[in-house]
Amino acid sequence: MSTVTAEATTVQSPPSSAHRGLVRTVLRLHRWALWFWVLFLVVTGGALLWAYGPGAHAAWQEYRAADCARDGFLPACGTNGPGYQYFSTVVDSASALLYSVPLLTAAWAGSALIGRELENGTTALVWTQSVSPARWLAAKLAVPAALLVAGTAVLSLLHRTVWSADRELWHDMGGEWHSGSIYTANGTLLTAYVLLGLAVGVLAGLVVRNALPALAAAAIGFAVLLNVLDSLRTHLWPVKTLTGKDGYPDYIGMVVGDGALTSTGARIPDPVCVDDAACLARHDIVGYYRDYHPSSHFWPLQLVETGIVLALAAALTFAAFALLRRRTA
Amino acid sequence: MTDTAIEAAGLGRTFGRRRRARALHACTFRLPAGRVCAVVGPNGAGKSTLLALAAGLLRPTEGTVTVLGTTPAAARERVAYVAQGKPLHPQLTVADTLRMGRDLNPRRWDAATAGRVVADGDLDPDAKVRTLSGGQRTRVALALALGKRPELLLLDEPMADLDPLARHQLMGTLMADAAEHGTTIVMSSHVIAELEGSCDHLLLVGGGRVRLAGPVDDLLAAHTLVTGPAGDLAPHTVVESRTTGRQLTALVRPAGPLGEDWQAGDPTLEELVLAHLRSPDAPALTLTDERQEAAA
Repeated sequence: MSTVTAEATTVQSPPSSAHRGLVRTVLRLHRWALWFWVLFLVVTGGALLWAYGPGAHAAWQEYRAADCARDGFLPACGTNGPGYQYFSTVVDSASALLYSVPLLTAAWAGSALIGRELENGTTALVWTQSVSPARWLAAKLAVPAALLVAGTAVLSLLHRTVWSADRELWHDMGGEWHSGSIYTANGTLLTAYVLLGLAVGVLAGLVVRNALPALAAAAIGFAVLLNVLDSLRTHLWPVKTLTGKDGYPDYIGMVVGDGALTSTGARIPDPVCVDDAACLARHDIVGYYRDYHPSSHFWPLQLVETGIVLALAAALTFAAFALLRRRTA
Repeated sequence: MTDTAIEAAGLGRTFGRRRRARALHACTFRLPAGRVCAVVGPNGAGKSTLLALAAGLLRPTEGTVTVLGTTPAAARERVAYVAQGKPLHPQLTVADTLRMGRDLNPRRWDAATAGRVVADGDLDPDAKVRTLSGGQRTRVALALALGKRPELLLLDEPMADLDPLARHQLMGTLMADAAEHGTTIVMSSHVIAELEGSCDHLLLVGGGRVRLAGPVDDLLAAHTLVTGPAGDLAPHTVVESRTTGRQLTALVRPAGPLGEDWQAGDPTLEELVLAHLRSPDAPALTLTDERQEAAA
């Protein structure tokens, strides 16, 4: 007890800014989440750095030893060695871990960040200090948002660096530029989705006011949003079309849809005639088409989706503030 | 500094989706500054709602409440509030909880006061709040509230989970603070004995309404406990009467001198409160604080 008294006298001078005090309080209350995030950054960042350096180096050495890299690159040639296996496991896990961040953020924000405070009634404690509920919510959003954005931006950049450096190795793993977790982690989307996760979680916490139900609500809500946005993804930029006379054109890029073409140029679902000439004549099929996004559409698609995700996050944040304002004085 | 701590005009709050559950309705009263006010009433009477409205934690659905001459939101910095159950962050230590008080009240924090309240309870500053007993939590919550140097201290059932000794100690701490700084204290309780002797103002809430309001002494003086043969007590206002055989005992508000047949006595605070709680239909009585009015 003597320590309390001693300390009490040493901290008597008030901190210069009430702002900083609020930030410190948010960090103090969510110390474990902060440590978890630091650990996550170290582990995932470390894995990506390893893959970029020694991991890729070992895999390439195996390819060269197996004579796979003599004339350009032979796909699926040296994929049996332990070096390649390590590389693919590590980068696969890193992509998956990054992909999980927005969902984890939503679940955490719904439960530990907001829901638990409302459930335990500790909001009554914080809101009756010299801090208004709106400022409390702003701090609860801004502090995690800043840390999450900084972290995911760095990880996204790292992920993209590894991906661009060793594209052939990723290709052997079946990792294309448009595959879900790679597509998200390679651009601005991961960061945007993390912010959306935060907004969904905060709103769920405020609406449900109970830690565990809010966790479930936030996770389900975010998963639904993610699925809806995922299904819209290919429609966010005009597609390119390939056509073929005797069969389907090459399957390249992010494929949006395909089917058969009639002599009038109309698109119909493929009746699957294969080589049956009578069948083809009956359906008046003269060729096949395939709509797709080439890899040059990566940034337009990313940026449009990022804009939508951020707008959605902003709308949910606004709703959270409006809800809080209606409840408290 | 304003001379009114809390003023409510037609204040009310309903809960629920269709606003059917009515916690508080048409409350009008005025609490002068510098008082120690007891808010009493049965469980579910609306005491907690009233305090939460004054603390700015809830928005009224009808009427207005003014705190320290302004809105509860604008008075936030000058008001401290300890909620029922003393919510504290379980993952913080005692010292961390006080640091939070300092960080969230940078312009007002009195670390010495907060530290003293905690130190008086022999609390380990490094103990996590989740390991504390109910009484120790109350102490930490009060340290946080007093460290803010409030002009108005709102306490919702502050003594509910304390043993008599701790209750006595904390009451002493509160009264000393009130005496030293002129803090207005409003505390709710359903244990009247807890408040007798320390409160000079009473607010009796029942069924979501203010039933009695005013200085304790004036309220007691306005009532008389009478016993006598069963009969008509008009023109006096009868709060509660009970007949045992041919003997009648009643709490009345005398409208003039009592008849010779009656034996009159002064009620205690507990008798006054219980009589009103037992008779929900007794008319409400609000006495204004004449001395305060005259001084102001």
